[in-house]
Amino acid sequence: MALLEIRNLNLSMKSYEGETQILHGIDLKIERGEIWGMVGETGSGKSLTGLSISQLIPTPPGRYLAGSIEFEGRDLLKTTEREMRALRGRHIGMIFQDPTTNLNPVFRVGTQLVDVALHAGNADPTVLGLGAGASRRTLRQAAREKAVEMLDKVGIPKASERIDDYPHQFSGGMRQRVLIALAMIGKPDLLIADEPTTALDVSVQAQILRLIYDLVTERSIGVLLITHNLGVVAQICSHVAVMFRGRILESGTVADVLKRPSHAYTQALLNSVPTTHTRRGELKGLGGLSPESLA
Amino acid sequence: MSLVVENVSKVFTGPRRGLFGGREDFTALDNVSLEVKKGGSFGLVGESGSGKTTLTRCILRLEPLTSGRILFDGVDMHGLPPAEMRRLRSRLQIVFQDPYASLDPRMTIHDIVEEPLVIHQEVVKMSGSQRTERVAELLLQVGLTTEHLFRYPHEFSGGQRQRIGIARALAVRPEFVILDEPTSALDVSVQADVLNLLHRLQEELGLTYFFISHDLGVIRYICDEVAVIYRGKLVEQGAVADIFDRPQSDYTRMLLSAMPDPDPDLSPFRRPV
Repeated sequence: MALLEIRNLNLSMKSYEGETQILHGIDLKIERGEIWGMVGETGSGKSLTGLSISQLIPTPPGRYLAGSIEFEGRDLLKTTEREMRALRGRHIGMIFQDPTTNLNPVFRVGTQLVDVALHAGNADPTVLGLGAGASRRTLRQAAREKAVEMLDKVGIPKASERIDDYPHQFSGGMRQRVLIALAMIGKPDLLIADEPTTALDVSVQAQILRLIYDLVTERSIGVLLITHNLGVVAQICSHVAVMFRGRILESGTVADVLKRPSHAYTQALLNSVPTTHTRRGELKGLGGLSPESLA
Repeated sequence: MSLVVENVSKVFTGPRRGLFGGREDFTALDNVSLEVKKGGSFGLVGESGSGKTTLTRCILRLEPLTSGRILFDGVDMHGLPPAEMRRLRSRLQIVFQDPYASLDPRMTIHDIVEEPLVIHQEVVKMSGSQRTERVAELLLQVGLTTEHLFRYPHEFSGGQRQRIGIARALAVRPEFVILDEPTSALDVSVQADVLNLLHRLQEELGLTYFFISHDLGVIRYICDEVAVIYRGKLVEQGAVADIFDRPQSDYTRMLLSAMPDPDPDLSPFRRPV
């Protein structure tokens, strides 16, 4: 049984102008220990696929026309909100793109970490290293220790002091690390990272990628990394899916797709990335490829 | 025309620490010197907070200098009286980073691109209909059509908006164009088109570019010369090929190695599949 299996997912969105289909038959299978990259341009449906997995798309305006999302054999499209709450944070972790808007500015970083740790701990005290029936006080104490441990793990110096800081006292890279700590604290089996490094400098990006990579090797979790940066995919992903207008055009191992792309769009995308050895005039863009010819 | 930045420093004074406390100074630019040659493309690379934008603001005289000089065509810009500075500004234009924030949502594309022609009326001396003609010509030049003239910014995609931003910068026929991360908000495919457009315009109009970016690939693609800035200091500068192939400083080496390459074989942590 795969960790996550998406079959023929079709999603539409309602607006004043009528209903538009956003995802057209997405198929994706993620096993433990795999890092899946999902690449595509703005509006191709990458983020909505990620949000569908954690069931964070409000319905309405969203509507699933067909398909299933099975997480360890369980169809997430059919679970209740109550059951989803038990899964989110504990079994499915999410990292969002913008660390400034996804941390609450009026609460200390520690408070926010402890909240998530307690949420996971209430569902399953073993996450905090406690047996069933632990008192609330010991839970709270263990949650705080766990929070410090996680902050330390994601590379925040002097974690036990910094835990009582507010988000504005942290730099962008550190805030992103806090988000990763938040996502990892419940020891999820599946991590969905939506553009985790887009807002960061390359040097910080390299550190964050290293961190995610080490977590995967250490705990053998599955990762879905949503990004528009082909370089990031080539660096850490084992597999990649190329999305265009709500469809997966091509998917497979990174070596297959990026080295021998079978689809003209993937090739065109690769030709658009300026690297340190691209010469003047070599960048092609999508050139003569019209969206209609690809759909 | 050339731009010379001579030993420029910029110190920002921080808030007072308590009622009788002192102020803490922050040195945003520390003795920066560089020279942009006519017709060339000069790249400035650095991470966030390194002083890239402060330097451009100083060049545009939006920020007073703490010390040093900036010479444009041999004239010390920061010593010019306001009227002459305004005249000079018509030769020096900027394209901003965020194509979503830098166009007024209530103005039509025609009005947006026309605005610099109106502001620099005394330099360009055009009548209303001449200006409209010029705007139409500019739109064609950046790959848009005249049917876009009376539309509003929200009707355009990110790449098209950035083309509008470029058309606006070129309206008064400047010699020197500052490009402040013009493609960082765009998809790679769109970025490639915009970069190629910038190449073409440079050849056609003989422009001089001052290109700011944190993306080394983009800098390599567009620039002939590059300076690496770190915490307000220039770490290294020289011809693009030299810096990229034989970086001298540790910081440049680190930046280059941190840049993700789309070739999976070059990954520092390629796992066996």
